Amino acid sequence: MRLLVIEDDPILQRSLSATLRDEGYAVDTAGDGAEGLRKAREGGHDVILLDVMMPVMDGWAVLAALRPSCVTPVLMLTARDAVGDRVTGLDLGADDYLVKPFDSEELLARVRALIRRAAGKASPRVELGEVSLDTAARRVLLRGEEVPLTAREYSLFEYLALHRGTVVSRTELYDHLFGEDDDTMSNLLDVHVSNLRRKLGHESIRTRRGHGYCIE
Amino acid sequence: MKSPFHSLRWKLQAWHALVLLLVITGFCLAVHGLAWTHQLKRLDRAVVLRERELFGALLEANRPPAPPVQPPEGEAPAKPRHSPQYLHTLLEEGRLQVPAALLQSFSGTEPGYSYFILCSISSGREVRSPNLLGGPALPKVVPNGTVQDEFRTTDSGAREHVLMSPSGAVLIVGRDATPERDEMRVFAWSLAAAGLATWLAGLLGGWWIAGRAIRPISQISATASRISEGNLRERIPPAEVDNELAALGRVLNSTFERLGASLEMQRQFTADASHELRTPVTILLNETQRMLKRERTPEEYQESLRLCEEATRRMRRLVEDLLVLARQEAATTLTGAATCDLAELARASVSQHRPLAEARRITFEEALAPALCRGEAGDLAILLNNLVSNAIHHQQDGGWVKVTCGTDEAGVFLSVEDRGPGIPESEQARVFERFYRLDKARNQTGGHSGLGLAIARNIAQRHGGRLVVSNVEPTGARFTLHLPVAR
Repeated sequence: MRLLVIEDDPILQRSLSATLRDEGYAVDTAGDGAEGLRKAREGGHDVILLDVMMPVMDGWAVLAALRPSCVTPVLMLTARDAVGDRVTGLDLGADDYLVKPFDSEELLARVRALIRRAAGKASPRVELGEVSLDTAARRVLLRGEEVPLTAREYSLFEYLALHRGTVVSRTELYDHLFGEDDDTMSNLLDVHVSNLRRKLGHESIRTRRGHGYCIE
Repeated sequence: MKSPFHSLRWKLQAWHALVLLLVITGFCLAVHGLAWTHQLKRLDRAVVLRERELFGALLEANRPPAPPVQPPEGEAPAKPRHSPQYLHTLLEEGRLQVPAALLQSFSGTEPGYSYFILCSISSGREVRSPNLLGGPALPKVVPNGTVQDEFRTTDSGAREHVLMSPSGAVLIVGRDATPERDEMRVFAWSLAAAGLATWLAGLLGGWWIAGRAIRPISQISATASRISEGNLRERIPPAEVDNELAALGRVLNSTFERLGASLEMQRQFTADASHELRTPVTILLNETQRMLKRERTPEEYQESLRLCEEATRRMRRLVEDLLVLARQEAATTLTGAATCDLAELARASVSQHRPLAEARRITFEEALAPALCRGEAGDLAILLNNLVSNAIHHQQDGGWVKVTCGTDEAGVFLSVEDRGPGIPESEQARVFERFYRLDKARNQTGGHSGLGLAIARNIAQRHGGRLVVSNVEPTGARFTLHLPVAR
């Protein structure tokens, strides 16, 4: 999954990005509202984390400009906790609202919830026959036993699992797995897919030539 | 109010009652006095009338004989000597005739009777009316050649007219004044009753009027209590008439205005302060939780701890500045003031900031003339450091900061000028507010807390001076401190 963090405080930006990358997310960053809006419009993000108090263009302006063309879930981060502000944020199109200072665990849980909801899944567990995916614990089980996966492998599998039934193009996978800072080599994706097949079974991921991959 | 006697209305009423009582009493006494005087005049006239009757009767009864000689031709006949002197002579000789009818007319004893006595002091002979009981007090005056003539009131309540001739003849005609006295008594009681009624009516009227006057005060007082207990936005409604109470209302309203503004500022300050602290706390929380989540490399720990340190420094700076500001605002007078030279302080501040400036290739220009003022060196140093640090911070690399000080006609001055973007006119007044930043950003680089200018201005004001800002050409801002010169 790929996230966009729009936060003007440089230290907080670094800290948040590090936390999210630790969890296996690919993270893009922006230091002000205008830059954030631009990157958000480029697309490819699964959740946008948006600070409210920013120079030039504040979070609400970004949100107003983003919606309705972009349906990416937005989690607002702010020091303003008055009820009026929360209502404004949610009404403008935010999907969730976290008040600083927040627990990093809560942040991660809310991000996971937003991803889950965007994929139309109510429960954190996804059953795929013998393979089951626990998005909350971020692990994959094969016949009840946990399968050790690298962060990238997990992210890839999770993405395909949450988009089960649809064919996901390679481009889309690239967009959502690798941040703009990562070196992308075109065959890296294939390596991950083959690793997953080896660990979880050949039939776990299907290839549609010329189109992409999917989990059925 | 502890007791009803402390109430303004009661006091007003009591004083009003007292004054009204005195006035009405005085008036009644005056009226009574006038009426009595009038009565006496009437009595006196009655006495004089009786006296004339008496004289007439006596003279009639004691006609002198015809004159012995005929007057010469052409002359009027000599007048008979109908004088009191003649009567006195007759009395002395014992030849005074008193008609019985006269005595009869002076014999009544019902209230309002008249009496007389005619006597000679020297011989003691007298003629008196039958109804005269006891002897009237005879005047003890030595005859000295003039006629004594006086009205007087006796102890028994009669009114007398006393005539005394130079030869010692005394005529007293008197009249019992009992009816008049009774009349006056009745009059006095009626007057008292009327006075009392008037007084009571006055009290009621006064009570009503006092109530009307006090009512606006009670209203204002009630509104003011309501406002101070709860809703500070409410105001006392303006009075229809611009009187003393309207002025009171206005004063209270403006006080509430100031109170409301002050509380609003406090609220804003608390909100801003807690707001400012949230982001550093988030960083600390986030970093520490992240580090604790799993095993990390030493480099990762170090990097994280560096971030934590930076965030903590930021909080420390904020806390220090808040404390400085609070201390500034609590103290109203300078303590430990001494004579300071702004030029010296400026030099110290510049040298302190030189490393930072050099790192950003910012040069200092100094034009420092001695500028002696009275103040606390520590606080003035803080002020200067804030200005210089701001000047460095708010411009690009390769600029300059110019520090000037000296004396002018108003006192001493010191200005710090930079080559940054300057401050828009519309923002210049607000730039001294706490946490106010030009672009509403929370750009926390350089460890600035947003309180520097607020603290600086506070120091300037405490020293009896002021801190002003202006733009310079082509770009840049200049902050100038004006202080009174040291005596």
